[in-house]
Amino acid sequence: MSSESTPALVKGAAGVESTASGGPAPAGPPTRSPRSRSTAAYLRYAAGKLAGAAVSLFAVLVTSFFLFRLIPGDPVKQMTGGRQVSTEQIAAMRREFGLDLPLWQQFTQYCGKALTGDFGTSYQFRAPVIDKIGEALPATLLLTGTAFVIYTLLGIWLGARSAWRNGSAGDRTNTAFALTLYSVPSFWLGLLLIITLSVGIGPIPGLFPTGGMESGSTTGFDRVLDIAHHMVLPVITLVAVEYARTLLVMRSSLLDEMGSDYLTTARAKGLRDDLVRRKHAVPNAMLPTVTLLFVNLGTTVAGAILVETVFSWPGLGGLFYQALSVPDLPLVQALFFVFASAVILMNTLADVIYPLLDPRVGR
Amino acid sequence: MTVTTDKAASPPTDSPRALARARRRQAALRFWRQYRTHRAGLVGLAVLAVIALLALTAPLLVGADSQSVTNAPGGPMEAPSGEFPLGTDQFGRSLLALMLWGTRVSLTVGLLAAFLSVAIGTLIGITAGHFKGWYATVIMRVTDWFLVMPTLVLAIALATVLSRSIWTTILAIGVTTWPTTARLVRAQTLSVESRPYIERSRALGGGHGHIMSRHVLPNVMPLVLAQTTLVISTAILTEATLAFLGLSDPTIVSWGGLLQDAREAGAVSSGNWWYLAPPGLAIAVVALAFTLCGRAIESVLNPKLGVSR
Amino acid sequence: MVTRVSPHTLRPGSRLRTLLASGATALALTAGAVVPGNPLAPAPSEARADDGRTTLTVAVAQSVDSLSPFLAQRLLSTSIHRLMYDYLTNYDAKDNKAIPGLATAWEPSADKLTWTYTIRPDSQWSDGQQATAEDAAWTFNKMMTDEGAATSNGSFVSNFEKVTATGKDKLVIQLKEPQATMAALDVPIVPRHVWEKVEDFSKFNNDKDFPVVGNGPFILTDYKVDSFVKLKANKDFWRGSPKFDELVFRYYKDQDAAVAALRKGEVSFVAGSPSLTPAQSASLENAPDIKVNDAPGRRFFALAVNPGARTKDGKKFGDGHPALLDQKVRHALFMAVDRKTIIDKVFQGHAVEGEGYIPPRFSDYFWKPSDGQKLAYDPAKASALLDEAGYRKNSAGKRVGKDGRPLDFRILCHATDPNDKAIGKYLQEWWGEQGIGLKVDCLDNVSDPWYAGEYDLAFDGWSVNPDPDFVLSIHTCAALPSKAKESAATDNFICDKQYDELYKKQLAEYDPAKRADLVRQLESRLYDTGYMNVMAYPNAVEAYRTDHIESITTMPAAAGNIYGQDGYWSWWSAVPAAGASSSSSSDSGGSSTGVLIGVGIAVVVLAGGGLLFAMRRRSTAEDRE
Repeated sequence: MSSESTPALVKGAAGVESTASGGPAPAGPPTRSPRSRSTAAYLRYAAGKLAGAAVSLFAVLVTSFFLFRLIPGDPVKQMTGGRQVSTEQIAAMRREFGLDLPLWQQFTQYCGKALTGDFGTSYQFRAPVIDKIGEALPATLLLTGTAFVIYTLLGIWLGARSAWRNGSAGDRTNTAFALTLYSVPSFWLGLLLIITLSVGIGPIPGLFPTGGMESGSTTGFDRVLDIAHHMVLPVITLVAVEYARTLLVMRSSLLDEMGSDYLTTARAKGLRDDLVRRKHAVPNAMLPTVTLLFVNLGTTVAGAILVETVFSWPGLGGLFYQALSVPDLPLVQALFFVFASAVILMNTLADVIYPLLDPRVGR
Repeated sequence: MTVTTDKAASPPTDSPRALARARRRQAALRFWRQYRTHRAGLVGLAVLAVIALLALTAPLLVGADSQSVTNAPGGPMEAPSGEFPLGTDQFGRSLLALMLWGTRVSLTVGLLAAFLSVAIGTLIGITAGHFKGWYATVIMRVTDWFLVMPTLVLAIALATVLSRSIWTTILAIGVTTWPTTARLVRAQTLSVESRPYIERSRALGGGHGHIMSRHVLPNVMPLVLAQTTLVISTAILTEATLAFLGLSDPTIVSWGGLLQDAREAGAVSSGNWWYLAPPGLAIAVVALAFTLCGRAIESVLNPKLGVSR
Repeated sequence: MVTRVSPHTLRPGSRLRTLLASGATALALTAGAVVPGNPLAPAPSEARADDGRTTLTVAVAQSVDSLSPFLAQRLLSTSIHRLMYDYLTNYDAKDNKAIPGLATAWEPSADKLTWTYTIRPDSQWSDGQQATAEDAAWTFNKMMTDEGAATSNGSFVSNFEKVTATGKDKLVIQLKEPQATMAALDVPIVPRHVWEKVEDFSKFNNDKDFPVVGNGPFILTDYKVDSFVKLKANKDFWRGSPKFDELVFRYYKDQDAAVAALRKGEVSFVAGSPSLTPAQSASLENAPDIKVNDAPGRRFFALAVNPGARTKDGKKFGDGHPALLDQKVRHALFMAVDRKTIIDKVFQGHAVEGEGYIPPRFSDYFWKPSDGQKLAYDPAKASALLDEAGYRKNSAGKRVGKDGRPLDFRILCHATDPNDKAIGKYLQEWWGEQGIGLKVDCLDNVSDPWYAGEYDLAFDGWSVNPDPDFVLSIHTCAALPSKAKESAATDNFICDKQYDELYKKQLAEYDPAKRADLVRQLESRLYDTGYMNVMAYPNAVEAYRTDHIESITTMPAAAGNIYGQDGYWSWWSAVPAAGASSSSSSDSGGSSTGVLIGVGIAVVVLAGGGLLFAMRRRSTAEDRE
């Protein structure tokens, strides 16, 4: 989603030391990647990354607990919803949800249980939080995963084309188009798509469903088609606002790569331009892009909140928004933890895998 | 800076300060000459100038009472016409007038939030780069950690925690977007501080404050400028997002707020695209203009990036 | 939805088109375009199959909180329970009078403390067992003894002394005090033999084993969180089988998406939440095959004034503006509110100007202020009244009290309610002319400052039941909190001796006409206090497709609403439009995660394959030369 992704234009891959001035993600972590050729060094490096991730995860757990305690609203009052409840009943409910304990005790209890995957019971749904998340997770993964694959392929392809024809009219149009879509608020794009392609305007008929994930009246292969049909507009929206990031990184790393001597050599050998690009330049330029891919995967999950809201998609984003307005603390905390840890895990994965992929870093 | 105004007006003398000033003026000129060659950057700048002018003159153009509901001139949700070029909202107010008023709010929020974000980022970046040791380690850990926080989720959480007002929006955006700036500024600070003249200044007795404010800050300013323009476009988009989710002050007319109003009134199902399209377009245009300027500045500072001209 | 309009049917042609539409979009995307330039044929809007099953799909913008009748509180969930379980009594669709439900007759003893219900012999649970007085007694006893089971309907049994079944067909309820509302026990009766096995009522959500055993007009067959709730007709229902074979409540995140789905024919009915906006109903009125049902509502929309929050034993708390304790100020504020403009501009005619507390739809209890009593819109009189109360305008045009404190008020508004925000804007301007400042505090969660008494004014509204006892009880002293800031039944901290006496009298009055008279006196007293100023009775605006639904019963029958009735009349009575038959394969099967993964892979393969294919073809063409 655009508002989420804009900083990444300048952010570079999170967790990666940015040295270039705000340019797209630089190639790998020069200051941190293992220069040593030994496996032991790599393992040490990987262990360090994993330990760092563990610390970050714990920090997120702490934040998720304390940040949302600030939300005004007594959860017990919310649960009773204005009905006449005796003081004893309120006390019992407080006990049931552990709200009668001092804050630090609530906190240690929360951390202890979270480690075992128990995030408590949702106030509004009266069901284990982990079950609610389990119900919504597949929908989010389906939507974001599909969009991710498409915008990655699209971004890499267009980015490579653009870099190869750097400065041409094609490059300019390509980049300008991507940047324009990138500046568009995703929810607005989604609403416009609903007006034009779903409700239908003037001569345009309504081609796609207005929202939801399935119509609930189909089974088997028809259900698969039904879900795919519902997915088209949300996926277009996500892809449109997200692919620019991949495009720009791919473009600039390929530009870097094109200055390299070996390319000149390859061309001097008489290889066709297109072949040089496909066989030599693109694979090398892919490396920094891979780092970005992981980061994208992490942020897109949280970034789908708006698109899920606009298209009534039954995923985590909608659940989060719904939980915030109650406020359904256990659910909000757990979702916040899920969103943040998705990013942390993906970043760590990128850090750990990167040296294995880059032949120049080599082991 | 501590330069007095009468000195600033006087012609360059041999004093080191004046020399430095002259050097900076020249650098600025050189910068502008290079910036001018970036067509996209110029387009962005021109668009911004026009929009800023519209925002400043809004009260003259449409009158202060165009936000009043009791004196609304039109019927509810009229289609565009000669009298109301963009139609009317559900109260019968002219959408064009509201758009113009919204420009002020959206730009203000964008600028202030970006300023807050960049200020925090610069402060943290410079200090983390200057003071090494445990301070830098801790502060960069915190930065890293903020960097991985899903920005929107955090901003939504903050906007929910605090009461609904324009300041909440600014704060929510400001405190969630600074880590990128901090990282960039820190890297630049490290490279500036490795230059020999910093060593000399230190030997001559320059304190931490002196080095950071007189030597490092001027050198990271161009980077900060580029960063600011890019953060503004993020901030404007985030403001719209928060308003759209109903997390900003509903009594204030902003572009995101107009989108939220449109959806609440039922513009999507009624096919009233004229209510929905202009605010979103305006957001996209301004965000794009700031991005273009930012990229142009970036490529002037670092030509290797190969931003298309 | 009547599935004939479903875009997803078994017809091979439609499957192909769906595939084409998806594929075309993927292609359009690859080309960098956002909108396919050449739209394909629209999704099929009609499909008929052989088995002729009919489905009614209702779009709702609320999610289910729980499917357990002991926990559910939201309107959607309780409406579904109306369909799943029979209640002891029901309300006549014509005039809201109590009529037989599971009970065929009910009568009080001479001392007014014992009620005996006769249970019908012809109501069966969907697993074949007969529904008896035992089930009813068990349900009530469970709510009286298990705190978890009292979560949603505990208030109905708080005055119960003892509930017993003296036979299969006799249910006896003994009360602590006389209670006139015994024919209005809106409690779903559940089958004892199924629910006995439940261990923890506070956690059991009744959404795992389908179909769920019930005895109402519909049987719950499937539920997917935030997607849909599916029910099938109970052919053996004692009042007769519903006409539609299947009823689906489909979830949309916001009302506008639901309206769009109705326009397209994805759904047959859209419920306002709580009402369609004027723009939505205006555009739907012009749409073909759609009927907008604009019915007098059962809600009132009021301007509540904080009378100084306090506990039962009189301890004051909160920070309501002291000027509002002056009745003249309260009256002046309301006299400066142009209710006609609110009806015309904000509701655009889809509401009725407010008078007494209970909406005119409940004609027995409706009350109107006399001409002398009425606080009509009159800004000049309001100014005079404020001057008289000692709040004069200062040089800056602001009204200031004798203590120098200006009349600057806050009003609590629901951030999710567009009407609150809209009327807030008008109030700011009207009161601004009087020299009164107003800050509109819009919150997602208003209940916190509300319970804490930290507000001056608030937008307030309740949906009124055929029996008005509840909405009257929330203004009695007994409803005040026992401790400061605790949640309590009170709506607005009103505590008035005169009101309380009238309230007690009406509750003990078993003669309907006399009781109605007492209720009207109550309303008159409430009006005079100026703490609850009813601005409007918003209509219930909803819409349905006439090509799916031939006819449907509104409640009241003459000019009533469809969604959220006090009964199952609408869905039970809905008749499918001619030719609206369709296939719709019954219950969903297969592992849903498996299907999701399948979809993901299919789409990815499709898009990725297309892209790779395009690239490969180009490169091989170039390599070949």
